[in-house]
Amino acid sequence: MGFRELLRAPGPVILDGGMGTMLQAKGLGMGEHPELAALERPDWLLEIHRAYVEAGTQVLCASTFGANREKLRRTGKTVEEVIPPSIAIAKEAAGGRALVALDLGPIGQLLEPTGTLDFETAVDIFAQQVRCAVGSGVDLVKIETMTDLQECRAALLAVKENSDLPVLVSLTYEERGRTFLGHSPACAALTLEGMGADAIGINCSLGPREMPALVEELVRWTTLPISVKPNAGLPDPGGAGYDITADQFAEAMAQLTELGVKCYGGCCGTTPEYIAKMCRALEGRTIREIPRHVPAAVCSPVQVVPIDRVRVIGERINPTGKKRMQEALRREDIDYMLDQALEQTQAGADILDVNVGLPEIDEAEMMVKVVKALQGVTDAPLQMDSTRPEVLEKALRVYCGKAIVNSVNGDRESLDAILPIVKKYGAAVLGLTLDERGIPKTALDRIDIARRILNRALNYGIRKEDVYIDCLTLTVSAEQAAAAQTLEALERVKKELGLKTVLGVSNISFGLPARPLVNQNFLTMAMTKGLDMPIMDPNRDAMMAAVRCYHLLMGIDTDAREYIAAYAGADVSSTIAAKKDAPLPAAPAGERTLGQIVAAGLKGEAGPAAQKLLETMDAMSVVDQVLIPALDRVGADLEAGRVFLPQLIQAAGAAQAAFEVIRARISAQPGGEGGSKGTIVLATVKGDIHDIGKNIVKVLLENYGYPVVDLGKDVEPAAVVAAAKKHRAPLVGLSALMTTTLGSMEETIRLLREEEVPCKVVVGGAVLTAAYAERIGADFYAKDAKESVDVAREVIG
Amino acid sequence: MPITITQLDIDEVLRYMGCPPEKANGALRAQAEDCAREVLETIRPRWSCRTVDIAFEAGGVRLESGLLLPGEDLRAHLAGCGQAVLFCAALGAETDALIRRAERLDMGRALMLDCCASAAVEAVCDRIEEELQRRSPGCSFPFRYSPGYGDLPLEVQGPLLDLLDAPRRVGLCATRTHLLTPRKSVTAILGVAEGEIEEKKRSCLGCPARESCPYRKAGGHCGIS
Repeated sequence: MGFRELLRAPGPVILDGGMGTMLQAKGLGMGEHPELAALERPDWLLEIHRAYVEAGTQVLCASTFGANREKLRRTGKTVEEVIPPSIAIAKEAAGGRALVALDLGPIGQLLEPTGTLDFETAVDIFAQQVRCAVGSGVDLVKIETMTDLQECRAALLAVKENSDLPVLVSLTYEERGRTFLGHSPACAALTLEGMGADAIGINCSLGPREMPALVEELVRWTTLPISVKPNAGLPDPGGAGYDITADQFAEAMAQLTELGVKCYGGCCGTTPEYIAKMCRALEGRTIREIPRHVPAAVCSPVQVVPIDRVRVIGERINPTGKKRMQEALRREDIDYMLDQALEQTQAGADILDVNVGLPEIDEAEMMVKVVKALQGVTDAPLQMDSTRPEVLEKALRVYCGKAIVNSVNGDRESLDAILPIVKKYGAAVLGLTLDERGIPKTALDRIDIARRILNRALNYGIRKEDVYIDCLTLTVSAEQAAAAQTLEALERVKKELGLKTVLGVSNISFGLPARPLVNQNFLTMAMTKGLDMPIMDPNRDAMMAAVRCYHLLMGIDTDAREYIAAYAGADVSSTIAAKKDAPLPAAPAGERTLGQIVAAGLKGEAGPAAQKLLETMDAMSVVDQVLIPALDRVGADLEAGRVFLPQLIQAAGAAQAAFEVIRARISAQPGGEGGSKGTIVLATVKGDIHDIGKNIVKVLLENYGYPVVDLGKDVEPAAVVAAAKKHRAPLVGLSALMTTTLGSMEETIRLLREEEVPCKVVVGGAVLTAAYAERIGADFYAKDAKESVDVAREVIG
Repeated sequence: MPITITQLDIDEVLRYMGCPPEKANGALRAQAEDCAREVLETIRPRWSCRTVDIAFEAGGVRLESGLLLPGEDLRAHLAGCGQAVLFCAALGAETDALIRRAERLDMGRALMLDCCASAAVEAVCDRIEEELQRRSPGCSFPFRYSPGYGDLPLEVQGPLLDLLDAPRRVGLCATRTHLLTPRKSVTAILGVAEGEIEEKKRSCLGCPARESCPYRKAGGHCGIS
């Protein structure tokens, strides 16, 4: 019987117990590598495996937990040398009485964004192990003791792309019910079931008595069999061993049958005795059948967003019709997109749509960059928005969690290109009710298309809860009857097909005056018809107000808590000015000048003050005569010790707010975006991950009007060279904090010179000195952010 | 033993920010205190330790596990000690994420949060050290020493983390270039001597950044340990 049959058969599946602690008990010394046991102590391994089979184990884990190329690097052995004998010993011990699993543990380095390991590298590391194990004839793969859901995804993809083996995926949680990285069982369940795991579970860290709460959470979020492999209790406070006996362990494990657990085993501190006693305690017990109803939901690694109330999808990360976003995409200004993301979630968005399609950029490459960066700063789940399947696939690959794909339509070609990707990465999918013939006029025809999309998705194995339908908003000024058709289609898709609904609402008012009125009312009408996910701009107060009012009036917002939290003390204008251009809000009375506002670091006041100044001054004069002198004064105060770095940065933040307003004015003028200074390329060098200093320099340079291309941290020398060439940068800034990474700074400069890139190089960072900067061939050394501006002025002007 | 930190030394935070505490105005201090509160709510200090016998040889200090901690400086530093307690401490990935997010919203605040986190990890190490000293009554301890101090190379981070089972117990790893992730983390070696030893002061003399260090100029130290 294979592992999948074992899972389907009645009764528990018995796994094995601890290996590392057993090897230590046999005499494995401190500092010796358990990965090498198959080569150095095959007799010990054989004895341990055999003892587990005798105890009742049906699935043995080969001793391959740390047998990846990164961990083996220090031992001088290769994956190919270690994995086959490890599996062979386990198979010998199993003797046909137990299945043998390839055991995949963590790589030992953290993935981005917390660490520096790239996702595809992680997939490749695991893939090497999987290919090696397939050749050795394993029965299944166990991915375990993971603390990072993204690393689980990498391992699971590696298994799926290199074998047909069944996979059990297990993470390790702390008592608070989260992994070290803050990932929850719910997020793991939604993500891993979507990607095709055969069973999921919990191992290590805690004892069996701490399992119930975690198991209950898994039961709510997965239909898969659940595996539990706890330690022999919690670590003993005295420091040696764990705190419960084999009898106590067996008793606590047997009770988990009540929660519907399918696979039972032990981790650190458990021995064949624990497993044997557990087997006896499980005898005669029936595993309770717990009905599983996993609701429609999407997630990031730390946050589940169930579609159980109106969920707002923020639409701002999209260049269509947005000049500023287009400019940011061309300049690879990822930070601008992160700002848009945070602004939207603060305003109330639950999910963020991400569209970076612009004809002149590499959409797939940009999508990957943006998705990774977004996941570094926001917990909101993402919706991948592109017309190109290859872009969607790349986005889903690096996304950790369960995303939404925007979109497919009723055209067979679209469905067959995109649905397999949706299935592979376990996403939800948004279906537009149009097809190769266009958008049907009537509600009935749109429902037909929705049904077609649903059926095709079901054929691909996508569950019904993961299919969302957008019945399409048409501009009411062009076709007045269309709004009613959209609403009818929405209502019937919801009721008759039982699907969640999505609608982009802002289109409705195109070409009409006072658009916010139409948008807000249309949104309310759509919600009463059953709209689950409006795609909209959450920064529009009236739109978020409509959503909050809907929750209030429908009794979803219990005791009006959210409504009151949002609007207590709010001033709501009920007049509508009939003029074409509403006057801008006047700057607060008492009037500080823009210069004073910048010096005081008052971010909130700087924008309006700049706006006001632009009524009487031209944009460049505001920059040259007001903003820059104000920053210079703060810079001089810094040098004189009258203010300190945080105050300089706050002044820069206020200048940035003013600069945004000015930038909008400049790009709105005919021939806009002109007059910009030479671009500066910034990077924290290869191997270094300390980038706050470089980021501060960036803010300051931008506020002096220099366009900055920020390559981030841990940047390859070649990437710096490529960017300097591409942007024709007259100045490149490099930063390093550790002495160990000064070498890669030197290497980067060497490569820039070798490739004859016509740029000056400025370097900075805690361990640098002017003398060292000169020695490694830099043109300038900047001791702080202020000095880097002086250098930019000297080089660029 | 779980460690909870409920307060940070705001003067130290200000020094990390490059601001001599006596020159900080009320607003700056209030902001620093606010950031300290946010950091204290976010951190999840975890640690692990291991006591090993040590031996001195020409190339450095040899741990009982076989690992050689190379260099002159640590050997001199641990003179008189027969054992060392290796330990690591981390504030958790959430703290890194907090700073990363703040960088997008308000860089000044991000800098303060970063400095608060540095102060917090130092405070955690202080508490661990107290606990370890309590466990060895009657012994003396030269100050804790970390890879990167003096001539002790960062390359030992990986092997030290392995000995401490740090990835599994603490969620702490090193990058291929031997930097700790999550970032606000420390590995350290605390010498243990039976009886008295000559008292050593923590100093910047062994630090390669001493010439250009902005913290020293402001009258403090960096907290990188």
